[in-house]
Amino acid sequence: MPEAISAALALFVDPHRLTMMLLGILVGLVIGILPGMGGIVSVAILLPFMVQLDAFAALAMVTGSLAVVHTSDTITSVLIGAPGSAASVTSVMEGHSLARQGQAARALSAAYLSSLIGGLIGALGLTLSIPIARPLVLSFGSPELFMLTALGVSFAGSLLGKDTRKGLAAGLLGLLLGTVGPSPTAAEVRFAFNQVYLSDGLDLAIVALGIFGIAEVVSLLARGGAVAQRTQLGRGWLQGLRDVFEHRWLVLRGSLIGMWAGVLPAIGATAGTLMAYGHVVATSRDRSKFGKGDIRGIIAPEAANNAVEAGDLVPTLLFSVPGSAPTAMIMGALLAYGIVPGPRIVTEHLDLIYTIVWSFAASNLIGAAIMFAASPALARLTYIPFNRLAPAVLLAMVVAAYQETQHVGDLVTLVALGILGYVMKASGWPRGPLLIGFVLANPLERYYHLTVNLYLRPEDWLLRPGVLILGALLLAPFVWGGVRYARTRTMRASAIVERHPIEPATVVSALIFLVFGYAWLVSRDFLPGAALMPVPVAAAGTVLSAIQFVQELRGKSRGAGEEDEPEGTPPGGHSRAAAHLLGFVLYGALIWIVGIQIASVLAIVVYLILMVRMRWYWAVGYAAAAVVALELMARVLGLHFPAGILR
Amino acid sequence: MRRIVVVGVLLALASWSLGAGAAQGQTPYYAGKTIEIIVPFGPGGGTDIESRFFAPFFEKHIAGNPKVLVRNMPGGGSILGANFYAQNAKPDGTQILATSGSTVIPFMLGVPQVRYDFAQWKLIKVNGVGGVIYVSPKTGVKTAADLLKPGEKLVYGGISATALDLTVLLLFEILGLDVRSVMGFEGRGPARLAFERGETNIDYQTTPAYLTQVVPLVSEGKAVPVMSMGFVNDRGQMLRDPAAPDLPTPYDVFQTLHQRKPDGLIRWKAYQSMVAAGFAFQKALWVPKATPPEAVTALLESIDKMGRDPQFRALSRNVLEGYTVFRGDRLEPAVLRSMRMTLDVNRYILNLLQTKYNVRF
Repeated sequence: MPEAISAALALFVDPHRLTMMLLGILVGLVIGILPGMGGIVSVAILLPFMVQLDAFAALAMVTGSLAVVHTSDTITSVLIGAPGSAASVTSVMEGHSLARQGQAARALSAAYLSSLIGGLIGALGLTLSIPIARPLVLSFGSPELFMLTALGVSFAGSLLGKDTRKGLAAGLLGLLLGTVGPSPTAAEVRFAFNQVYLSDGLDLAIVALGIFGIAEVVSLLARGGAVAQRTQLGRGWLQGLRDVFEHRWLVLRGSLIGMWAGVLPAIGATAGTLMAYGHVVATSRDRSKFGKGDIRGIIAPEAANNAVEAGDLVPTLLFSVPGSAPTAMIMGALLAYGIVPGPRIVTEHLDLIYTIVWSFAASNLIGAAIMFAASPALARLTYIPFNRLAPAVLLAMVVAAYQETQHVGDLVTLVALGILGYVMKASGWPRGPLLIGFVLANPLERYYHLTVNLYLRPEDWLLRPGVLILGALLLAPFVWGGVRYARTRTMRASAIVERHPIEPATVVSALIFLVFGYAWLVSRDFLPGAALMPVPVAAAGTVLSAIQFVQELRGKSRGAGEEDEPEGTPPGGHSRAAAHLLGFVLYGALIWIVGIQIASVLAIVVYLILMVRMRWYWAVGYAAAAVVALELMARVLGLHFPAGILR
Repeated sequence: MRRIVVVGVLLALASWSLGAGAAQGQTPYYAGKTIEIIVPFGPGGGTDIESRFFAPFFEKHIAGNPKVLVRNMPGGGSILGANFYAQNAKPDGTQILATSGSTVIPFMLGVPQVRYDFAQWKLIKVNGVGGVIYVSPKTGVKTAADLLKPGEKLVYGGISATALDLTVLLLFEILGLDVRSVMGFEGRGPARLAFERGETNIDYQTTPAYLTQVVPLVSEGKAVPVMSMGFVNDRGQMLRDPAAPDLPTPYDVFQTLHQRKPDGLIRWKAYQSMVAAGFAFQKALWVPKATPPEAVTALLESIDKMGRDPQFRALSRNVLEGYTVFRGDRLEPAVLRSMRMTLDVNRYILNLLQTKYNVRF
């Protein structure tokens, strides 16, 4: 093995290959920055270039781009609040709050350093695990995968926020959204309302963009001003580095969680990142700052999402079972070079594997260095009045969403989830549990079904050592919580019960109750296999949201309660937000009718002149620049745009 | 922002310099044009990987060297993209639809959401793949003859009864095997992992996956191959799989197990049409019928040229899984015929799916 490592190093430092790797890194960084676009887009852009390269150069290039996507996606999440890719949503929750407090620089430097370390640990893990990965991966049967996803869902429990009932209901809503589309276990499509578009389920990138991106942008607009209110520029670069050093074990734990989530093909990058986040929150004593800008909530997930990509290469190379679309595309490219992933790759192409490892480690270093250098300039974006940035940001999100299926449904879903996201944010329904529920709904249902059907007697799977260990991890917080509750109960009883007035937000609780109730009614008619998850989820959601609604009516629970807003919403903020959402709906409808170019020009000019009070020539110039950027993206990135029904 | 622009310009220059240098002399139909291969599946799937593999070879071999792009339009298990193509494709040869067995099976079964009709299109190329069935040594099955009396209950892991698994389920029906089928795996890869973990004990893989992933298990004594899925030729006859010629076909196995020929049985006809549509003619490229003849000819000729290109032949061995790519015009009648099921066969399949696999249409 040492010979292979040094032989791979000699192959790797060839100038031509290094140049290709740099090209890959640049593409990966740019795609990471664009909201909602991640590894799939960057690999798709690079594939046509691969044909002209030898296998080593080609692999150095795609590995380079995949390695850094999750380094640069942070910047969009932190500065603008629009997730740079689905796996950086946690950086929206924590990093963006820090940016709003003028600490963008601290958040970014902590994120880059954790990303870098996560990537390096991933590369090291990949090197060490190659000889033992096969038995390790095979030791995880369906029951262990089920328990692991259940553990992931239970992590959502630590993100519930102040109001446990609302948090649980939000998690259930996420699980319910995750069941839209084909049942993994029976031949039935659920909650598709006869729309072919919905019959493959909702797309993760669009859910992340809608629930977090659109909601964040709208609430920033409603607030007015710039992202950051303070006047001093982003100092705190050193503070970010110090934070990482202080929480070094957190970086290690995050990396390991990410690595493992990547190795198991069922889990995926976004779930791995969210699990690292949930793990941090669950194991922290002081949870009061999570969701309002806690640096620990950036460090662990950022380390995890870079390590995931390294982990993902293990099943791809050793089993020819890729865990994600980008690695599947890399596998296809490998095949074209006559390299077949599988058990024989370790004996036949070890030098190639180590070339990948070297490229992965080097790209993480270079990517982090580039982002460090570029960020001070980019961080200034937070001091520009946000309403001038918003049109470009929204346009980028619409374009990203439309790449998923290029069906008008992408736009409708984005708009609908954007409204849902804002409404949840404004009325204190935490969105973290919703996203965890959404990404884990499918593996949870699938592996529960497979477990009970492959192991017919419960004792066959419940007594497996892996299941027992994971089960203990799963139950421990509940036992601990119970003990703590019993100790503090006497104190709680004396607390004064405050009576809340009924607020407009109670309508939200009523609507969520109606959604759950409807889903419960409908799902009872599903085939037995297809009803497996929707029925209990919808039933529990109906009960919880009904209690919430009644408690709000009785004044025992608050309808509103904006937890992720450190300063609260300014007066009239919600009605301004509603106006912006309405504007966004109209913009979406206009895109559908006349196509994205004309719609964007009209929307940008009208918005900038009427709302931002920009001079008309600046507004027209802005719109023209946007259209030019669109055309450039179409040519260079191979993107597709809604053409409009009139054309 | 400046970085984005710089990279964009670099990329634009790179792609421009790669695309230039083509198109000289008399202007062929495709000179200066761009072809879009519409893949109705997400990136990273088999059809996507194959289309992306083909794209540069089309650029090289279509007269006029057009630019060839791949466009993913996933949704509804490929129904959405194929419907889009049926309703919107320009009949000028610049948009090509890639289909897979998963596009054909809903069409054959008459799924109501399907708005496309293969008879409205012209076939450009078709290539297929075979499959191999293997069991765990714990079942005690050594050859196909032992399948009726295994040492332990046979358990099969599948994806969904209405997808390509239907072929395997029909195979179990024909041979009269007692198999417990558990659906719900994400793909054949994870299903193979479940076999390796001992959660299932009978499995199938496409022949190339079998050769690279399962043959090492066979030599370690962890898997026993029993038969191929058979291959169907252009006259609709079942042959041995060219990539696994040592293994018996289901036709042979039926005779061993039941001492008669399966010809004429409805369930045999059902299996044959499924093997043809889902395996032998699995991956196809189509253009609308109204496409100008010079465009169609240029596309068809590019398939011939690829067949003679040593680079294509060397590289395609893995991606195309060792099976020949056929020119569409020669096989179109056979491919379209394989999609037409007689009413009794259709009724048999729907009935089987409804009663045994709980499928509703």
